[in-house]
Amino acid sequence: MIRLQNVSKNYGGRPALTNISLHIALGEFAFLVGPSGAGKSTLMRLLYREEMPTSGNVFIGGVNLNRLHKKQIPLLRRRLGIVFQDYKLLPRQTVFANVAYVLRALGVNEKDVDKRVNSALCVVNLDDKGEAYPDELSGGEQQRVGIARAIVNGPPVLLADEPTGNLDPATSLEIVQLLERISERGTTVLISTHDQPIVNAMRKRVISLRNGEIIADVDSGVYEVGSTG
Amino acid sequence: MRILLRVLVETLIGLKQGGWSNWLVVSILAIALTIFGGVLQLTITLKSVVAAWGSQLEISAYLKDSYDPKVVAHDVSLLPEVQFVEIVPKETAWKELQSAFKVASLANPLPNTLHIKVSSTEAVQQVAMQVKNLPSVENVRYPLKVAQRINEFRHFLELAGFAVTAALTAATLTVIGNTIHLVIQSRHREIEILSLMGVSPSYIRSPLILQGATYGAISGLLSMAVLWGLHAYLDPYLSEQLIGFAPMLTHSLEHSLAQTFVALLILGVAVGASGAFWTSGRYIKI
Repeated sequence: MIRLQNVSKNYGGRPALTNISLHIALGEFAFLVGPSGAGKSTLMRLLYREEMPTSGNVFIGGVNLNRLHKKQIPLLRRRLGIVFQDYKLLPRQTVFANVAYVLRALGVNEKDVDKRVNSALCVVNLDDKGEAYPDELSGGEQQRVGIARAIVNGPPVLLADEPTGNLDPATSLEIVQLLERISERGTTVLISTHDQPIVNAMRKRVISLRNGEIIADVDSGVYEVGSTG
Repeated sequence: MRILLRVLVETLIGLKQGGWSNWLVVSILAIALTIFGGVLQLTITLKSVVAAWGSQLEISAYLKDSYDPKVVAHDVSLLPEVQFVEIVPKETAWKELQSAFKVASLANPLPNTLHIKVSSTEAVQQVAMQVKNLPSVENVRYPLKVAQRINEFRHFLELAGFAVTAALTAATLTVIGNTIHLVIQSRHREIEILSLMGVSPSYIRSPLILQGATYGAISGLLSMAVLWGLHAYLDPYLSEQLIGFAPMLTHSLEHSLAQTFVALLILGVAVGASGAFWTSGRYIKI
């Protein structure tokens, strides 16, 4: 589902990623780990075409993102769900409206919006919080709204960039377990994080980055902070 | 239809967020459009005045006594641009002069005269020169200086007016750009979310462009109101002054005013929308 072939990315001659090759299959659940500056966010931005690689190819669902025309980028992003560390919720809109926001912008009719938003809120266990505003929710609940918004369009791929960065350990575990449940429904999930206890608790595939290079790629692995920086 | 409705809702939100800068944009654009409309209307008026007056401009050609005025009148009537030639025999002119001024009994000193009408003010000078070069013609006179001055003034007004309008339009584009930029900044989170979730840039930008067009339309209407007020105030005076030599002129000016209003509305919307289009393209990246 996600494939990188000899991908490098430089910023003004300074390498952020060097010769990265990896493959993540449909429905797979994987962590991308490494310390700050390892290249995790750069790699995530390449996947949703916020950035272009300096060399190499990035494929999502068989589509080479290098060859994607600018006008096709929105179509790619509709097939991706993206979860952010800072949730990126609209403070003056209710939970329901936040999740429905993009569907409405895409012209989905209100009946379908209702159905899909309620279904997404059920998945994240917030079906009773539809009328609440983000500032009335805890951090974990806000992140669950972010996840509901990411999955409301039924994307085959979910990218989560440091989704537990602002949360306490117990809530972080809940969020990652929620993402695991979503993955079990057939969605490919890639989580970038440097949250060692969470990664180690899950025993899933761990791709470790350091200084822009993959130093380990282990199924049922752990995040060894010492060896990664 | 649903998307159109969403775009309208987003536009209203953008206008609400614009706050006081909405009025700044509308005021500056309205001033620019009023000046543009005023210059346009004044130019059309002066052009009409010159054209109407020009059609009444006559060349007076004074003939040598040894030539038959009928023969000369025929030769002159064959010149291009000449519409009509009237012969004023020296006897008729002398009688009129005597009755008007009680002139003493003298031998008639006046020459036979031709009154020549030409098709346009531009042709007056050329025809006058051609007539003057005829051997039968002693001298010619034509009141072209005033028409030329009006034309020169009109050209100056056009240049000055359009220069001021261009400067104000540039200022307006800058203010529209800044206002739209402020709206983009205040809504950057929504714009970022929409962009990352795969909403097309044209959907994201269209409420902003519509917002710019709304500024233009409101400014156009305001400038129309100002020009209509000026027109209503000056109309009685103008009609009185103009009706003397061009009865149809005031009607044609009413017609040109309607055309000016359409031009103002179109220009306002075009300036507003293009300012917003340019700014949103610059600051909203995929």
